[in-house]
Amino acid sequence: MNEDHPSGHGLGRRTLLGMMGGTAIAAALPWDPLQAQTASGVLRVRFGSDIGNLDPARIFLIENQTVAGHVYNGLVKYDQRTNAIVPDLATSWDVSADGTVYTFKLRSGVAFHKGYGTLTSDDVKFSFERVLDPKGGSAYRGQFAAIKSIDTPDALTVRITTAQAAAGLLHKLTAFNQGWIVSRKAVTELGDKYSLQPIGTGPFVFDKWTPGNEVRVIANPAYFEGAPKVGEVIFRVIRDETAAAIALENREIDIFFALQQPDMIARMRRARGVVVTERLANSTINLVLNTTIKPLDDVRVRRAMAHAINRKALIDGFFKGTKNEASTVLTPAFVEYSDDVARYPYDPAKAKALLAEAGLAGGFKFLITSVGLSPYDKIPVPIAEDLKEVGIDASIQVLERAAYQQARSKGEIQSCITGLVGPPDPDSPLVSLYSTKSFPPGLNTSRYDKVDDLLAKAAGTADAAARKAVYQEILKRTALDQPVIPLYQDRLFLAHTEAVQGLVQNSLFTMQSYGVSLKA
Amino acid sequence: MLAQAGRIALRLLVTGIGIVTVAFFMMRAIPGDPASYMLGDYATAESVAALRAKLGLDEPIWRQYLMFVLNAARGSLGSSVVTGQPALQEVLSSLPSSAVLALAGLVVAIATGVPLGIVSAIRQGGWVDVAVMMGALAGISFPVFWMGLAAILVFSYWLPIFPALGSSSSKDLLVQAHHLALPALVLGFSIAAYIARLTRSAMLEVLSQDYIRVARAMGVAEHRIIFRLALRNAMVPILAVIGVTFAWSFGNAILVEAVFSRPGLGSMLLKAILARDYQLVQTGVLVLASLVVLINAALDLSYTVIDPRLRTS
Repeated sequence: MNEDHPSGHGLGRRTLLGMMGGTAIAAALPWDPLQAQTASGVLRVRFGSDIGNLDPARIFLIENQTVAGHVYNGLVKYDQRTNAIVPDLATSWDVSADGTVYTFKLRSGVAFHKGYGTLTSDDVKFSFERVLDPKGGSAYRGQFAAIKSIDTPDALTVRITTAQAAAGLLHKLTAFNQGWIVSRKAVTELGDKYSLQPIGTGPFVFDKWTPGNEVRVIANPAYFEGAPKVGEVIFRVIRDETAAAIALENREIDIFFALQQPDMIARMRRARGVVVTERLANSTINLVLNTTIKPLDDVRVRRAMAHAINRKALIDGFFKGTKNEASTVLTPAFVEYSDDVARYPYDPAKAKALLAEAGLAGGFKFLITSVGLSPYDKIPVPIAEDLKEVGIDASIQVLERAAYQQARSKGEIQSCITGLVGPPDPDSPLVSLYSTKSFPPGLNTSRYDKVDDLLAKAAGTADAAARKAVYQEILKRTALDQPVIPLYQDRLFLAHTEAVQGLVQNSLFTMQSYGVSLKA
Repeated sequence: MLAQAGRIALRLLVTGIGIVTVAFFMMRAIPGDPASYMLGDYATAESVAALRAKLGLDEPIWRQYLMFVLNAARGSLGSSVVTGQPALQEVLSSLPSSAVLALAGLVVAIATGVPLGIVSAIRQGGWVDVAVMMGALAGISFPVFWMGLAAILVFSYWLPIFPALGSSSSKDLLVQAHHLALPALVLGFSIAAYIARLTRSAMLEVLSQDYIRVARAMGVAEHRIIFRLALRNAMVPILAVIGVTFAWSFGNAILVEAVFSRPGLGSMLLKAILARDYQLVQTGVLVLASLVVLINAALDLSYTVIDPRLRTS
C-alpha cells in the first residue's frame, strides 16, 4: 500500500466534490474522507455490535465468532466456498470401521500466538475436555455428547472414541465454537482474563479491544498457511446501518459486514466503487408451533396455518426480494438439502377448509411471541394479518432478548419465531428444532417428538449417501407434521469497496479476512 | 465549608445506597437470566445450572443482596458476567468518552442557548424571537437520534466536512476533536433548545419587574439593565436547569453514541441491561448517580456566588 488513491476511488472523489459544488472547501478541510483509507494494510470491517467473549467454550453471536475465526483453528474446517470439510490443524484423519474411533494426525510445529508454545495433542484434548466438563459451564457440551474419551498416543496424534457410531462427529470438530483449539498453558495462566485475551494458532493475533469502539487483530507472519495479505484488521462497531453505509461510501471502512436492511442493500448496490456480495445462508427463519397446546396439537390446524401464510408476499413486500422461499429448515447450502417434501402453498380457502375440518371454523386465539430484534420484531405483523384472514385471532408479543429466552424456555408460549445461525451441519437445525433432547432449554419449543429415532439412525449411519437418505426422510416427515413452519431462507449480504480483493463470503454469517488483500 | 462537604458526602451516601438498591431489585424483577443469555441457544440444562451456581444466581435474592452490600462496603463491586472484567474498571474506562461528549454538548448548548434566549427576550415578538423560538421548538421536537442521522447525511455525506463515525482511536487530539464535533453539535443543539426557551422566559419575567422599570426610568443604560440587573437574577433558574440537563444529556448521549458509533457509558449500560449483566448495571448506575449528585452540589455552590441572598451565614 502507498499514499496513492486507488484508481477506483478517483471517480468517487470527483463525484463527492461535484456534489459540494466547490473543490476549494474540500482542500482546506483537515479531514479528507478518501485519504483516511490509505493507511497501509489496515482492513476496516463494520460490526453491528460489540464483542463480549472470545472463549470457544462459551462463545456465541456472530461478532465474537468472526473475531474468533481470525484467531483460532480447529482440527478440520469448512472450506469457505464449498462448505466441504477440509484439513486445518489435522493433516489427516481416519475413522475405524465401526465408526467409533476417530484418529487425527496433527500438523507439526504449529506455534500458539504470543509465545505460548507449540501445539500438541494435549492442547486438543484440553480444549475438548473443558467443553465436556460439567462444571465448566460450556454451552456446547451437548455438541460433544457422543464423545466417550479423548486419548493422546503421542504429541501429534489425537484419538477420539465415541460410545456409538457418530457419523456427524466431524461437523462438531470443525473450526467453529466448541471446535476451536485453545492453548492449555494460556487458558490456565490467564484464567478469567482469557475470554478477552484469546490465544490461538490462527492467521491473526488478537491485539486490543476498546469496548464499544473497536477490536484490533494483527497479522500472524508465522501462520502455517502463509502470512495474511493485510497487516491488521480493525472491527469497528457501527450499530446503525445508515451510518455504516455512509462510512463505507466515505471510505472510513472497507467492508460493511452484516448488511441486512433491504433499503440499505439497494443503496449499496447503487453506490459508486462499492461491491455488494451475497450468499445463501445455512439458516432459515421459522414459525415454531407448540404442539402440546390445543389446538396446535392438531396437525390439520398446523397445516392450515402453513397454507394461510403468504410467504411470497412477506419476501417480496417486507424483504424486497432479499430472501428465498423455504419449504424445509435446511437450505441448499447443506449437502443434505431436499425440496422433495410436502408443500403448503398460499391458499386461504384451503386453510379455512382445514380449520373447519378440525372443528375450528370460528377460529381460535393465537399469540406469536418474538424477540425485539430486527427483523424478528416486524415479520410477525404480516403473518398475523394473514392468519386473521382465515379467521385465526392472531396477536403479537415482542419481548427483548433475555425476556424472550426465558418465555421460550418455560415452554408455555404458543409459538415463536426462531432463526438458527450455525454451521452447515444438518444436525445444527434438525436436532435443535426437532429432537426431544433440545428442550428445555433449547429450541425445540414445538415439543415435537416424532423424529428422535430417525436422528439417531442418521448419527449411526456412516455411509454418506445412506445418511443423506435418512436426513431426507426426516425432512419429509417434519414437512408432513409441520411443527415448524419454515418462513424463508436467509440470504447474507456484504458490501465492500473495490479496493478489497479476494474476499470469500461464507454461508455461516461470519466473515474471514484471511486471503483478503487491499488494492492500492 | 466543611459542613457543606459533609452534607454532600451524606447526600452521596444516601443517594448511592438508595439507587443501587433500586437498581438491584429492578434488574432482578425483569424477566431474563444472565446465565442463559450468555450461553446462547445451544445451552444445555446442566451448563445453565453450572453457570448460575458459578455466578451465585442460585442463591435466594435477599442473600444475593446481602452479599452485594457486604462486598460493596469492602469496596468490591463485582465483575461483569459477560467479560469477566471488574465492573468498576469497565464503567470508569467508558466514562471519559461519555463525559467528553456530554461536556462538549453542554458547552455548545450554553454558548448558543443563553445568548439566543436573551436576544429573543429583548426582541420579544420580533422576527428574531419568532425564529429563535421556532428553532428551539424544532430542537425539542426532533428526536436526537433523528437529528444525528440527518446531521450525518448533511455534514458527512452531502457536504463531507465531518466524518460519519463519531470517534477515532487516533491519539491525535485534533483528529479526535474532529470526530467529536458533529455528535457534540447535535447533542448541544437539543439541549440548547431547552436552555434558550428557559432563558427567554426567565429574562422576560425579570424584565417585567418593578425595579427594572425603575432602573429604566432612572435612565440606566440598557446593556447594564440587561446584563447586570436582569441576567444575573435570571441566572438562578437557568443554572438549575443546566444541572438537570447535564444528567439528561448523559441520557441523550446514549442515543447520540449509538448513532455516531461512539463508545461510552450509555452504550455500555444498554448492553449490560440487555445481557442482564447485573454487576455492571449496578456499578454504572452508582457512578452516574454520584456524578449527578456532585454536579448538583457544584451548582448549589454556584447559586450562592450569583445570588448573595442564598448564602447561609
